[in-house]
Amino acid sequence: MSLFRADAGIEETEDHDVGADADPTEIVGRTPWQLAWTRLRHDRVAMVSLGFIVFLALVAIFAPLLTALIGHGPNAQYPNTGLSLSGIPVGPGHAGFLLGTDDQGRDVLSRIIYGSRVSLVVGVGATLVSLVVGMVVGLVAGYYGGWIDALLARFMDILLSFPILLFALAIIARFGPSLELVLIVIAMFSWPYIGRLVRGQVISLREREFVEAARALGSSDLRIMFVEILPNLLALAVIYATLLIPVNIVLEATLSFLGLGVQPPTASWGNMIAEAQNGDLFTVAWWFLVFPCLALILTTLAFNLLGDGLRDALDPRHGRSQMTPKSKATRRADAKGRAEAKDRAQAKAGAATAGAEA
Amino acid sequence: MTTPSDPLLEVEHVVKHFPVRGGAVLRRAVAQVRAVENVSFTLTTGETLGLVGESGCGKSTLARLVTALHPVTSGHIRFKGQEVTTLSRRQMRPLRKSLQMVFQDPYGSLNPRRRVGSILGDPFAVHGTLSRGQVKKEVQDLMARVGLSPEHFNRFPSEFSGGQRQRIGIARALALRPELIVCDEPVSALDVSIQAQIINLLEDLQDEFNLTYIFIAHDLSVVRHVSDRLAVMYLGKLVETGPVEEIYSRSRHPYTASLLSAVPVAATAFRGTRKERVILSGDVPSPVDPPSGCRFHPRCPKAQERCAREEPLLEQKAGDLPGHLTACHFPVEAGEMLAIASREAPATAAPVATAADARS
Repeated sequence: MSLFRADAGIEETEDHDVGADADPTEIVGRTPWQLAWTRLRHDRVAMVSLGFIVFLALVAIFAPLLTALIGHGPNAQYPNTGLSLSGIPVGPGHAGFLLGTDDQGRDVLSRIIYGSRVSLVVGVGATLVSLVVGMVVGLVAGYYGGWIDALLARFMDILLSFPILLFALAIIARFGPSLELVLIVIAMFSWPYIGRLVRGQVISLREREFVEAARALGSSDLRIMFVEILPNLLALAVIYATLLIPVNIVLEATLSFLGLGVQPPTASWGNMIAEAQNGDLFTVAWWFLVFPCLALILTTLAFNLLGDGLRDALDPRHGRSQMTPKSKATRRADAKGRAEAKDRAQAKAGAATAGAEA
Repeated sequence: MTTPSDPLLEVEHVVKHFPVRGGAVLRRAVAQVRAVENVSFTLTTGETLGLVGESGCGKSTLARLVTALHPVTSGHIRFKGQEVTTLSRRQMRPLRKSLQMVFQDPYGSLNPRRRVGSILGDPFAVHGTLSRGQVKKEVQDLMARVGLSPEHFNRFPSEFSGGQRQRIGIARALALRPELIVCDEPVSALDVSIQAQIINLLEDLQDEFNLTYIFIAHDLSVVRHVSDRLAVMYLGKLVETGPVEEIYSRSRHPYTASLLSAVPVAATAFRGTRKERVILSGDVPSPVDPPSGCRFHPRCPKAQERCAREEPLLEQKAGDLPGHLTACHFPVEAGEMLAIASREAPATAAPVATAADARS
């Protein structure tokens, strides 16, 4: 890790050298986001996770196209091809069912593809809503302090102390299950996590001298909150939102599993798992239980690993320990970078002596 | 009553107490930190007032009272004849154009997540009615004026050195063409060679824009170099104020005398002429519970019983020039040696190059 960082340092000085020689208007410093992206690109685990998430998003967006290509609708039953004569689901690879069929002769792959839509819409949507609400409430509470803070902080504590599942069950049972309601209920209980985090950051940021400088210029409270403080919160918010998405995906799956999320026959990973374990058919036809579980686990894992990678990339001071063995690719890049730097230094020294001789 | 030139800034009997809160639930104020206690001074246009004192004596608090960043506990501050202590934040906004501040820490006073162009555009965004293109031009002019490359407006503060960052801080304060700039230890976080550059810049700007400065510092050589008048603070109170050369040559308050005797002398030619070094014993008492009478009396080599009982007034002492005020019952007489003065071994005098030395 340390060598990698030294390498990044060399890159930076390079930029400046080049800038000094080139046309002065060409100088464009790399933003903190660009630097973070440079660091993230070297994190193989995070990049694989990001790749998986992008893949999943594409699958969700083009779900109708994909199922049309496969030739099996998500809710269509195929009693003739999808079930054996004795009514047992066919296994993976049989009769064009890549991941097999479920107890009603439906294509597991098509259902997983459609289920990803539910998971992503609820997981990402609820997180976005919590992000906006949590940031605004955290900013207001942390910035103003006093009784406003006391009120908002207590409110967040109360929400966090609720037994979420029980309360969600009660609300959904009262208003009837729907995708929108599931999203809203999940957002309602996850925004305080962001809010509390942001509030803590704002309390420390508002004492910084640049906030005082803004006040000395006559900036309004709103301007200080959103122009001065907010940009300093974004990195943290992005990290925690990424880590909140899998939590919310699992929460949606849980609600669907309990029959209060997305209603059958619409596919969701949660209700697929619920249907599969309802009965003991899965002991002989394991695939229609295992594949939805796998989809859920891989998605959750990908978001968590990406979140970790983002944390390292956006806030290198709190990076993972230096014990992490370096990948071969990084080591190769390091060696290459060092060799290049050496070459450059030699070339420069050569040029200098040539200049002196002239 | 009116002086020929009306003062730009009048500070009268200003007091600032910060409550110390205690108690788990009710957070009652259990004590007061008496940060600034009954401070008065005036400033005329084009003047530089040096404000010196130890850490924690209330210099920075006074700066924030003058710039209305903190409300005063009591007292009056008039800027161009207008009372500012009673103004709301909204009412204060137009005045802020002419009343700006340069901060101590060039690393903390610039938002790390914003580009320099956007930071310097702030004064115009908050006050001005300039168009986007005009703002960019103004920002680039400002950057050029303080000695930065205007092409660097797209950079982040982290891409600049400490001295360059302080130039950005000065440019920001200068943007709206203020009349008074409060400099809160503007050079104390910088290298000595950079200090000289920044001080020269501040002086050039003063000449060019007829600026008035309140210059806070704890480096006495720097203060002597830039100031016309000096105000010495101890534990929230002004103990001595007057023309800078007058105080440096004939300080009357024992605290000022000990402070000045601690300034290292670099040039060996002056070694013989330097004053006896006065070593003060003890620490600065807590501003929560300041000593009775004269706040300096527990550490003062000249303290007598009266000093603990009676608070001295800031007044002109016999034989002093008008404007040279001292708050002491027993001011230091010319040529007097202070009681616990100890001779400093010449070998230990570390030569410290200051901005003043560098220029002379």
